[in-house]
Amino acid sequence: MNSGLQALYRKGRKVSNRWLFQLRDSEPGEVTLTSRRVFILPTRAGLSFTLLLLIMLIGALNYNLGLGFALTFFTGACAVADMFLTARNLALLKLAPGRAQPVFAGEEAQFELHLTNPTKLDRYAIWLGFQTQGEPRQVTDVAAGGASAVVLSLPTRERGWLAAPRIQLTTRFPLGLFKAWSYWQPELRVLVYPTPEAPAQPLPSRGAASEDGHGTVGLDNFAGIRSYQQGDPMRHLAWRQIARHDPALGGQLVTKHFEGGAVAELALDFADLPLQLDLELKLSRMTQWVLEAEQRALPYTFRLAQHAYGPALGDAHRAACLRALALFGREGGA
Amino acid sequence: MSETQRRGPKVELGRRLAALPRDKADTLLLLIAALMVLAPHFAHLPLWVSLAVCATLLWRAAITWRGKRMPPLWLLVPVAVAAMAGVYLTYRTLLGRDAGVAMLTLLLAFKLLEMRAKRDLFVVIFLSFFVLLTSFFYSQTMPTALFMAATIIVLLTAQQSFQYTGAVPPLARRLRTSAKLFLLAAPLALLMFVGFPRVQGPLWGMPGDAHSGRSGISDSMAPGTLSSLAQSDEVAFRVRFLDQAPSQNQLYWRSIVLGDYDGRTWTRVPRRRGAQRAAIAISVRGQAVRHEVTMEPTGKRWLAPLELTGPRFSVPGFNVRESDEMEQFTMEPVARRVRYAASAYVDFQLQANEQPENLKRWLELPHGFNPRTLALAQQLRQAVPPTANGQPDARQLSQQVLSMFRRDTFSYTLQPPLAGRDMVDDFLFTGKAGFCEHYSGAYVVLMRAMGVPARVVTGYQGGEMNPLDGYLTVRQSDAHAWAEIWLPSHGWRRVDPTGAVAPERIARNLARALPAPSAFGFGQLIELQNDPGSWLAQLRFRYAALNNSWNQWVLDYNPERQRSFLTELGSVFGNWRSAVGAALVCALAWLLHWRRQRRPAAPLDGLYQAFCRLQARHGYARRPDEGPLSYAARLRDMPASADKHAAMETFLTLYGALKYGGAGAEQRTASLKTLKTLLPLCR
Repeated sequence: MNSGLQALYRKGRKVSNRWLFQLRDSEPGEVTLTSRRVFILPTRAGLSFTLLLLIMLIGALNYNLGLGFALTFFTGACAVADMFLTARNLALLKLAPGRAQPVFAGEEAQFELHLTNPTKLDRYAIWLGFQTQGEPRQVTDVAAGGASAVVLSLPTRERGWLAAPRIQLTTRFPLGLFKAWSYWQPELRVLVYPTPEAPAQPLPSRGAASEDGHGTVGLDNFAGIRSYQQGDPMRHLAWRQIARHDPALGGQLVTKHFEGGAVAELALDFADLPLQLDLELKLSRMTQWVLEAEQRALPYTFRLAQHAYGPALGDAHRAACLRALALFGREGGA
Repeated sequence: MSETQRRGPKVELGRRLAALPRDKADTLLLLIAALMVLAPHFAHLPLWVSLAVCATLLWRAAITWRGKRMPPLWLLVPVAVAAMAGVYLTYRTLLGRDAGVAMLTLLLAFKLLEMRAKRDLFVVIFLSFFVLLTSFFYSQTMPTALFMAATIIVLLTAQQSFQYTGAVPPLARRLRTSAKLFLLAAPLALLMFVGFPRVQGPLWGMPGDAHSGRSGISDSMAPGTLSSLAQSDEVAFRVRFLDQAPSQNQLYWRSIVLGDYDGRTWTRVPRRRGAQRAAIAISVRGQAVRHEVTMEPTGKRWLAPLELTGPRFSVPGFNVRESDEMEQFTMEPVARRVRYAASAYVDFQLQANEQPENLKRWLELPHGFNPRTLALAQQLRQAVPPTANGQPDARQLSQQVLSMFRRDTFSYTLQPPLAGRDMVDDFLFTGKAGFCEHYSGAYVVLMRAMGVPARVVTGYQGGEMNPLDGYLTVRQSDAHAWAEIWLPSHGWRRVDPTGAVAPERIARNLARALPAPSAFGFGQLIELQNDPGSWLAQLRFRYAALNNSWNQWVLDYNPERQRSFLTELGSVFGNWRSAVGAALVCALAWLLHWRRQRRPAAPLDGLYQAFCRLQARHGYARRPDEGPLSYAARLRDMPASADKHAAMETFLTLYGALKYGGAGAEQRTASLKTLKTLLPLCR
């Protein structure tokens, strides 16, 4: 019985969402909030105000106060005007999606939104938020003829594309007696990379592992000492030399320099990962490795199913790899 | 000397106000609004309540200014309870109008000290609106209404100020926004005011003190009763004559008949217990004077119809009765403004064939008072021969008394000399100066002493006709007392002894009759005021007319007036011609609005849209994702003349520079002009 009622409620909710609130699928590009898309209802304060008006009306009637009637009707009409102004505060606002930077799963995705006010009215106190998150918590003003950018954040859990949920815009300006709201489904999505594995696993080495089991580039023969560069692994620091020239006394950090015959490049290959590992864990490990390789400035090749990049280093390479990881096996994977 | 010192403290204060953090400024604005709401109440609240309210507001202002913490609840609750106890001790009740208003004002003040959340803000604002309403118990004049409008605007501004979340416009702009909102609300408010169905209040019993403190004619007349009224400028009632208005000396508004005299005070004759109520014989002559009276509330039951109205005229919502003396009264006190239609007969005969035994009580005099007056009465009576049937010749005797008033040096004044125990003796023989109550009282005593049935009638005499709107205004200062004597086969006849002394009083109005108190230098002003041609009088008439229509349309817009107004409106707009006209006006307004909506907000975008529409006709519609430069690149492939290509190229380049580049206002207008001239070339 109860579940039947709930189903009925859900169905009613769905119908009302579709027909009453005209919730639509994502709309590309800029969207104008026509007055048909702005809904309005009294707030709790507005309802109390109605009660106040009723009491005032009864008082004016009982005592036959002409000015009492005037006051009641004027304040009542001011509330109606407030309703009009509140709806107008939202209507004809133009909305456009902005940029959304990729994030790692578990981080907050930041969706940038642009509000443009083409009218001659200043818009104040417009609250924005994702419909799923309850009452909007971001607020902005849009001056007449001006624009404003708002960033809404959304926690991420899974890798892949994350589309911005439906956005609710709310305003109670100017008097707070009414709440006008509108929905907007921007065509805006953010790429969520897999979470880097933690604790980090050591980078894989191709061929023989180095003495301490860490695969690194060209570690075959010791070729001398050079000054420390950022990204050099700590274990290659030439401690004996450093000890002789104490850095605190002006000495330099030096690194042991190795040269391999053929420089074995760092290869991050999904196929090389142990088979029994969980898919997501594998992707996390790959992600972690990409990050680490980038951090240590070690050029790397990347192989994941049909994707094969590198060897290379740099933001574009990193982005391509992470993108492949994020979308592996996901719909619209390209 | 520092900058601030040189500019003085005022500038310093202004600067500090301007630099105040937003929430503090908002709270101070709310305090000002609350003060505007509370201030009109200070006039009638007990002093301690006003002081407590002011102190609380100041306390709150200091807390806000200094950024201190609000008082804790354990401090506020005892203070509030003490205030409530104070109200109880002052009024001996917590109910009723005055006590309720005192409680509300204190509540509003204390609520300001206990305002923490946004919800509390709404409570304060709503409470303010209600307290504003209660101030109309005490005053509903036009200035009150203007102040009300100002207060509403400040309240709305305060409410609005709390709604901002980011940028806050300066106070002047916020006030303007609120004023705009108020004006936006005005048409609807007027419509509701006119059209909202009115019911005749009260809905339930009014508290006993709902209409206290009204002055008016009372059912007794002691020395000073009327002269104190004469100094009141309060309006008693207003009259609009549907026919020719009677002349000023016929305007006697009969209210209460006084017959019992105890040597000092005249009172009504109580109805004799068990007495059979005889039908009152009235015969009238001539045309009825039809008129409409709008009477101010008196809180009493007496009416003051034009002599002689009735019997049995009706006041809507009231049960009207009349006494044997042709006084008209209602069963319920008149606690609201009432309007009634009546017709009066100026020429009438009242109780012409009254039985002598019924007249005996109009001959009674207190024993042992006024010996000199009684002696004078004897003298006069012997001087006048009785009529054929042995009765005293009342007409002759009355003439004797009136000519005595005229002949001797009697004068008319609002400040008569003090009288002793034998008041009539003192008035007639020593003071010889008095007000209408002295003359009518002395006249009735003399007539009774000579065996002529006589009585005092109080009411109003005259009134001021406003030539602008045709309303006659009768004020408390027009309160008057005259006399009636009974003549065989003529009945009760009105005699106005005051007219014998100050005929001006009857023919014009009181202010004219009183000698100007030139000692204060106001003589000329008063002269000016009473000269109907002077600009001051014109101004006064204008104000009175405005005030009267205010009363008629705002304060006294009752069910009857509403019905008649709506009927009138219906007949104006009822015919098809007016309906079509109204429809046309609406259509025109809508069209204007639509055109304004259609007009692009920015001229630049409009031009660009026009350009795109032009090219779309040639099959080169701009794609939604195309910027002006890529669009221009695509348009180059369009088969068109070289001139057109050049024009299009220039147009789009200029548009792009204007839209996305930073250009000064001057340059912008010039470039816009160029764009406008380019547009037809791109056709």
